[in-house]
Amino acid sequence: MLYIKCPFCGYRSQKEFAYGGDGTVKRPELNQDISDEKWNEFVYLRKSPRGKHVELWHHVAGCRQWFKVQRDTVTHEIFQTTKMNEEIK
Amino acid sequence: MTQISPLNFVHKVGKFGDHEGKNKNDLLKVSEVNGLLIFQIAQYKNSSFDISKIKLDGLSLPSSLNSTSNLNTRILWFGPNCWLVFSSDLDLIEKEKNQFSETVFAITDISHSRTIIELEGSLVNEVLKKGCPLDISSLKAGDCANSVYNGVTITIDFISENPKKVRILGLRSFGESLHHSITDACLEFGYKAI
Repeated sequence: MLYIKCPFCGYRSQKEFAYGGDGTVKRPELNQDISDEKWNEFVYLRKSPRGKHVELWHHVAGCRQWFKVQRDTVTHEIFQTTKMNEEIK
Repeated sequence: MTQISPLNFVHKVGKFGDHEGKNKNDLLKVSEVNGLLIFQIAQYKNSSFDISKIKLDGLSLPSSLNSTSNLNTRILWFGPNCWLVFSSDLDLIEKEKNQFSETVFAITDISHSRTIIELEGSLVNEVLKKGCPLDISSLKAGDCANSVYNGVTITIDFISENPKKVRILGLRSFGESLHHSITDACLEFGYKAI
């Protein structure tokens, strides 16, 4: 069981959260030409690294906010959590 | 229109569980709270309106994980820029709507969609601990928290310390499951449903 620090509510049990996938994916710029390959990459392809990874989590049974979590996918250690408009250092 | 309370078919008055031989004042009390006006206030993200100017029934909007209250009304922090208001004054929205510009706030009446179960007694924390992952002992009167109880999303409003009293709010559609979960957890201690 993970113990996750929500940037708004503080430390809470993993039971209150939903995993939201890779947090490093950036949507292509609006009104720019984009190849099918790049669009396919954005929509379907996700990294699955071993080690430190930035993920999105949703405090679905809490404040209902999305936020970023930097987590080690091997040890499950959580290094940092930030609001969506902040950068993981 | 007739309003049927969310727990109309499951909440039965009486004493249940291990209540025999116990002082009736020591028993947990479980009751349903209904007939309140419940509405959500959400402030739009792009708004820079200073919420300290808002006084709702004389109460300010609380900061994170806190509540403000008077005899008629309780306001809970529900998330960033979002609050939940409970009031026995059923005309409160009408009376106070001038404070809430439509370009800054969204006010939604959700009176019909919530179940409220009130627990009172010295063993309230023990009942909560059985299904909720929060650090219950660290929470005190005036706090509120969103969490889960046996998988059901709830909001806990800590009303008073002496007597220990909390309100557990859930979605109306989960009301019966939530009531079963909570009353099952109370059986070990014995409880009086009122």
